[in-house]
Amino acid sequence: MRKYLYLIILIFFAIIGYNYLYKNHRVIATEKPEFALSSASLMSEFLNNSSEAELKYLNKTMEVSGVVSEVNQDNLTLNEQIFCKFSESINSLVKLGSETIVKGRLIGYDDLLEVVKLDQCSIISK
Amino acid sequence: MKYFIFPVLFFVGLIATAQTKYITKSGEVSFEASVPTFEEVKANNSSVTAILNTDNGEFAALVLVKGFRFKNALMEEHFNENYVESDKYPKATFKGKILDFNLSKLKHQGYLHKMNGELTFHGKTKLLIDIMISISKDENIISVSGNFKVSTSDFDIKIPKIVSNKIAEEIELSFLFILKMK
Repeated sequence: MRKYLYLIILIFFAIIGYNYLYKNHRVIATEKPEFALSSASLMSEFLNNSSEAELKYLNKTMEVSGVVSEVNQDNLTLNEQIFCKFSESINSLVKLGSETIVKGRLIGYDDLLEVVKLDQCSIISK
Repeated sequence: MKYFIFPVLFFVGLIATAQTKYITKSGEVSFEASVPTFEEVKANNSSVTAILNTDNGEFAALVLVKGFRFKNALMEEHFNENYVESDKYPKATFKGKILDFNLSKLKHQGYLHKMNGELTFHGKTKLLIDIMISISKDENIISVSGNFKVSTSDFDIKIPKIVSNKIAEEIELSFLFILKMK
């Protein structure tokens, strides 16, 4: 009887260990956004003080609204300020010049082109 | 007459100062530090910015470190928190120059060039000499691709002893930039 008990405990810890080592990735599309703001106000925070804004927003899930100023196969840009990378093709989903809300994870501020970048994006509304 | 000359001069000035730049915001950079028989240590970043100045061959790239995606979520977490400290050092940059760059000689077929430059990552800067890159041009699109090796110790990235046999000391970086004329 005791043998089985040890075995069950062993299996229990093995499962916990496995789930820790091979845990799932965050799913940004289903996470609740921590911030929701316009692309202009997000950009102004980075222009004002980029290191403070990085501290506040890096790796956070957020919703950003703006007008689509550029569309490519798997990315779009809002107001020439916020670059959003998608995992799949979005060509047929968005139109240039349309008002859009994008949800994604903020990965940082690109000071070469002065754009804020989000990845793992999804479109909330058109 | 002078009403006419002013706008003409203005446009002449504009042409003289405008530099031809080719840009991408979605360049790809990946690295691999795998050791045979152990789980692969590999990540890919496909939101890298790169700018090529076709007047003089100057090239700059900016990688947002948080954008590196691993297959294993825990590995991605450890990479960001313990190894490269991406909260403290969110950017990696490269600034360099392509040697003997000549826009008019670029062709549809890839052409090998050498590139020198400085790579800054994790608060450390390293000079890289003679990176071999392939450049091709198709209408208004220039593609730049290549790979090179760096060492974790060059960038002061500490790998704990316990996993040191599972992560290669030498890291292979490869990149592909599809640049469009701005």
